[in-house]
Parts: sequence; structure tokens; C-alpha cells
Amino acid sequence: MPLKEKIAAGKFIILGEFEPPKGADFDSFITDANLVKGRVEALVVPEMANAVLKASSLGGCACLEREGIPSVFQVCCRDRNRLALQADILSAAALGVQNIMAVNGVETRFGDHPQTRTVNDLDLIELIETVQTLSQGKDLAGVELKGTPGFSVGSTIDAGAAGNLLDIEMERLEKMLENGVDYVITNPVFDLRRFEQFVKRVDTSKIAVLPTVLLLKSAGMARYIDRNMRGITIPPDTIRRIQKAPDKVQECIRIAAETIKQVKKMGLAGVLISTVGWESKLPSVLNEAQL
Amino acid sequence: MIVAKRKPIEEIIEEVQAYDKILLVGCNECVTVCEAGGKKEVAVLASALRMHFMNQGKEVKIDEITLERQCDHEYLEELRNQIDQYDVVVSLACGVGVQFMAEKYMNMPVMPGVDTCFMGVTEERGVWSERCQGCGTCMLAKTGGICPVSRCAKRLFNGPCGGSTNGHCEIDKNVICAWQLIIDRMKNLDKLEDYEALVPIKDWSTERAGGPRKVVREDVMQ
Repeated sequence: MPLKEKIAAGKFIILGEFEPPKGADFDSFITDANLVKGRVEALVVPEMANAVLKASSLGGCACLEREGIPSVFQVCCRDRNRLALQADILSAAALGVQNIMAVNGVETRFGDHPQTRTVNDLDLIELIETVQTLSQGKDLAGVELKGTPGFSVGSTIDAGAAGNLLDIEMERLEKMLENGVDYVITNPVFDLRRFEQFVKRVDTSKIAVLPTVLLLKSAGMARYIDRNMRGITIPPDTIRRIQKAPDKVQECIRIAAETIKQVKKMGLAGVLISTVGWESKLPSVLNEAQL
Repeated sequence: MIVAKRKPIEEIIEEVQAYDKILLVGCNECVTVCEAGGKKEVAVLASALRMHFMNQGKEVKIDEITLERQCDHEYLEELRNQIDQYDVVVSLACGVGVQFMAEKYMNMPVMPGVDTCFMGVTEERGVWSERCQGCGTCMLAKTGGICPVSRCAKRLFNGPCGGSTNGHCEIDKNVICAWQLIIDRMKNLDKLEDYEALVPIKDWSTERAGGPRKVVREDVMQ
């Protein structure tokens, strides 16, 4: 069942983020994914997050679908032109993928292949339009397709934006809505009070908002994110909790689980749990959050 | 030079339709050479606009000026004392000039009068063609002075593709295959062994892919 139907049914959506490997060995990717099979609605497979070369989202989704685990295919403006994007979207549909998520992609200069040429043939809104066009049975050249793909369509939104930037985000959200986006996933959220201010600006009856809950790994990581990542604030209490905890890993799991519970209490559609390399700990987060 | 072509008059009319006092600004550099935005083209555009507004029965002030360049502060400054008399500027410089004008005169709408096309040469009067894409790492020393980035449709670095037929490119039989030109030139220079050397995978970070670019020369900074 596509995500939009689950969202419409009022189910609290749990998504996990599963990065494909940097290499051709998908064993641990598949093993870890099977640990949460049936406990998550779908697994989001990032398309070379942070512009670091990994196996593709489409490849990861194909592996998951083969295991009977629903996936969310990430399509990214950065690396593919309109021909390649449309080809991949059609292929994803044929592989059984029902959920798609459009992203801009982090600039390649921040990744491990800064010598590459970025593509950005389509921007994010145009990419979302493309998914809609394909879902209506035509390609961007207006040619009729043999078999129409159908997806639940998502994208991203910056929940940390403030002032003018937040106004711009809201305009972007409007454009996404006009182009049939069913859900948006935010950047990682730690400060729920601040996040509530963002949620107040969004009509959640029209679009499902799923905050990302990022599993921290250490106080150092938390401090780094708080200082360096635009739009993400980690309360000092959270950092202190990790510092003081005798079992720091368990404390990080507890913090993630508490955030998930609070998000659920806010009445939002669901969460994306991002474990960045600690995918094997996702079951513990779900246990701690009693999900 | 930067090669540009005149915008369709309908598009320029649409840009300025709402205004009453229009200043048309030409540029005496590249766009003059490619006959798109110099003094002559400013005069032609001014006449066309005057005729359009006259037919509409609308009284519009249209003035003309051509600056030496629009990509340098000192020449754009020449407009400082008169620009407030207008409510829109149409710059017939390349996109660089239009933007620099807009940066300098923040409260003045600045419209483009030409479409900026590429960096190229005058093959003959009325024919301009592309020679450089400003990739930031010139490799002409290795390709006999012929650029595969700007002249090969696929930007190939290791010889022609399978679409090259009788020295012509597959995209258009009137386009000469850049690699045919490179090989012919290498033969003339007796440097065919250079052609046989494999070129390392190109670093595009100095091209636009790495974001907006800047050259800083501290030795000439004042």
C-alpha cells in the first residue's frame, strides 16, 4: 500500500532511512533491513546523501522490494538529467516501488567527488512536476507511456528556517502541494518547542509532515551538528544528557525514542528515523519508543 | 568575445511596456563586434520602440547611450547623474553587463536587450561560432589548440565517438567533428603521439559545476 493511503487511514507512519553501501556488497544492508521488516511502513533509500558516492537509491530499493520491504525511492536533481530521471522513475515503478521522494541533493563540492559536473537539469519543483506528468501517462516530451507509474510523492522541507527563509519555504510547500506532493520530510528535529512553531505554519490537513528523528551517536556529534548545521538546534540539556550517561549509546537511543513519542503526541503523520550507519540499532529505537 | 543575439522586439516591448521613460544602453565591446548591442543596434531598437509606442498613442521618452563597457565600474558610473531621469533601463550588453548595471543601480529596473549566447569568434560577417566554455582548466596545449569542451558535442577527451562520419558530427552534417580537426592538426604539427596518450578524467570543479566562480589576484589588487 502506498504511503498516501496509509497516511489517509490515519496510521502513524514510521519510516527508516537506509543508506546503500559504498560498494557492491549489499549483505548487511539487506540483513539490517530485515530486522525491521513489518515494523516500519517503508525504508527511505537516500540517493548519495551529502554527495558521497554510494550505490544508487534505485539499486537499494530494488533489493528491499525483492525482500518484500516497501521502499521510498529518492530522485535527485543533482546527478541526472530529465532523460535519466524519467527512465529511473519508470524503472522504479516496474520494480514495485510505490513511494518516491524528490530532493535537490547537496552540492557536489561537499562530497567525495568534487571534480564531477553537477547536472541540475530540473530543479526540485520541476522534478516533482515530472513525477506528476509521468503519473498522468505521459513523458516530458508529451509522448504517451506504455504503462503509467503511480507513486505516493514526497519531498523535503527545512523545518529550521526562520523569518524570510521560512516564508520562502512555505511558498515552496504551496508549489509542492499544487504538484501533488503527499508528504514532506523535515531535516532532523531535536528542539520540539521550536519545531512546533514551524508546524503551526503548515496546514497538516493538506500535507503530511514527517520530521526526521536523527539517532545521535555521541555528545561530540551532537555538538558538531548544533554548531555547524544550519537550521538544526540541539538543546544543551540533550548534549549534557549524553555526556553524563554511563551508557551513551543507550542514552542516544532513549533520546531518539522520546522525540518520536513527542512527535506522535503532536498528532503529526509520522517520523523518519535516521540512524546514519547504525541501521542495526533501529529495532532498539523502535523498542524504546514502544512501536 | 562574448557573442550575443538581439532579442525579439516583442519580448523587449513586453519588458518595457509599463514604463514611460526608457534608457537604452549599448556596450562598445563584444556586443558591438557581434552586432547585437552596440550604438547602431541601440538606435535601431530605439526607432522600433518609438514606432511601437507612437502606434499605441502613448508618449514615451526613449533615450540612447552607449558605454565603453558595462562590465567595469568606471564606465557604468557615467550614468550616475542621469539614470534617475528614467524609470527603466534596457541594457544591450551581455548578461554580465545587465547584472553589473542592476547591482550598481539597485532601485532601477534593468532589462536585457540581448540573449547572451557564448564565447566565440567571427567566422565571417554575420556568422559567429563558439570556441570556449570557460571551463577554468585549459587543455588546448594537449589538443592542438582545438577545444573538445566547446567544439565536441559530447565533450569527449579521448578521440571521436562512433557518430563521427567523414569528418562531420552526428548532430549536424554542417558541424565539423572537433576530433577530426584535432587529429588533422596534430598530424600537421607532427604530434600524433600526443593524441594517442590517454587524458586523465577531467576535473570539472573549475567549471560552473563548482558554483559561481571568482578570480582573485592579490598582486594587482589596490
